[in-house]
Amino acid sequence: MRADLRVWLIGAGSLGADVLQPLADGLTELGADIALEIALKVAERPSVDRLAAELPAPDLAVLCLVPDAALARQPLAEQSFETWKEAAQDGLFETIRLFQALEPHLVDRGGAVVMIGPSLSLVGCPELVALTTLLEGQRGLVKSLARQWGARNTTVNWIAAAPRALSAAFADAPLAAKPDAVSVALGGPLDLQRDIAPVLAFLATPAGRKLTGQTLTLDGGEWMTP
Amino acid sequence: MTPMDWTRTPDLLKDRVAIVTGAGGGIGRGLAEALALSGAHVVIAARRAATGEETAALIHAAGGSALAVETDVADPAAVQQLVDATVGQFGGLDIVVHNASSGLSGKAFKLAEINAADYAEQAGVALGAAFLLARSSFPHLRDTGRGRFIVLNSSQGLHGGAMNPVYTATKSAQRGFVKALAREWGPYDIVVNAVAPAALTDAAKVYLESDPARSAAAMKSFPLGRMGDMCDDIGAAVVALSSDYWRYVTGLTVPVDGGYYTAL
Repeated sequence: MRADLRVWLIGAGSLGADVLQPLADGLTELGADIALEIALKVAERPSVDRLAAELPAPDLAVLCLVPDAALARQPLAEQSFETWKEAAQDGLFETIRLFQALEPHLVDRGGAVVMIGPSLSLVGCPELVALTTLLEGQRGLVKSLARQWGARNTTVNWIAAAPRALSAAFADAPLAAKPDAVSVALGGPLDLQRDIAPVLAFLATPAGRKLTGQTLTLDGGEWMTP
Repeated sequence: MTPMDWTRTPDLLKDRVAIVTGAGGGIGRGLAEALALSGAHVVIAARRAATGEETAALIHAAGGSALAVETDVADPAAVQQLVDATVGQFGGLDIVVHNASSGLSGKAFKLAEINAADYAEQAGVALGAAFLLARSSFPHLRDTGRGRFIVLNSSQGLHGGAMNPVYTATKSAQRGFVKALAREWGPYDIVVNAVAPAALTDAAKVYLESDPARSAAAMKSFPLGRMGDMCDDIGAAVVALSSDYWRYVTGLTVPVDGGYYTAL
């Protein structure tokens, strides 16, 4: 890892809090300078201006933004349109807004942006249709912006992490399970602070910045997507 | 290219009832015609009544069964009315094809240019309508025992596109919707898939014919050497997904694109 790594961690909602604090701790252990901003609600919008004042000129921005409404398990047929919009459509728009706010601070400077979310969106999860929709939308947005910002020296990637490594919110979710997952061979369940923070730091290195628009699946080898 | 011989399978979807959104023209019209040529009763959902009636008239002229229902798919009441009218006319609902797309889908946006209104327009049709159609159609798709919910997607939902981040994001989001819903509705024997077409639309024809050299270069991206006919190629794939032959395929985004995207 580069010695002078400057990292913004930005998120919203309870999942953002669950994910970003351990990552901040892990990146601090690795010697990075950290600025952390987590809005309680997605609609409140995390303040990029405050981060810019606290730690200007970041090299890496790590994002996790999921409305709490998206974490509530419910069959689609029983869901209100208002809840759907808040969870999926508004969540995606706020993600776009966050990238818009980041652009002047990161793009053109050789920065790296990484969004992180639960890997359940790769395979789909019943009763969490809005969440799956939002996450795949965010993952698509990452690809689009990787293409838009690539010529401007900025990388954008997605980390799909084992849901239960991210938050207790997924403890009893009806996740699709692959019987021959290999997490045991990898040393046990993934840990945000110990296992995922170093991957984030790598993505800000010159070698890591050869990756853009990619989905890095950190799920202990459960889903090996084509 | 050998023309599609629809007379070989006129009863493939006999007595099944399908809704196609955005069927007043373009790909949606091609899908509606293909479903009708395969024996389905097709309900044409179009924002403008006149275009929906045109599609219905084409189907009637070919001997098929169709009903046009003027529908704003982003309006919850209109979507419920669409489903109610379908069941009222034909006695059930077996197939829903969500094809409608915002007029802004083909517009280029830099990220900084995206505003709330443009986003709401695109997301309302791509995502809001998908939700509304699914919620309103669920009891009928469940009851039929052979329910199909198909979303018209895009290669940009697979590989991402720089041109319009909202389009790429909402098409990717639709893929998530399909995967999750396939798992949720599997116990009811409802099959949920997406199709990512490369269709030779009128707009694509104009674009390609304006520059033959560019057209020739673009066709090299397609192993089959051409873009797909809206009825004979894209419609045929949707018919296949709607039929019993593909009843064990669910949760997928199927590229129907002449081999353009093979990175899966």
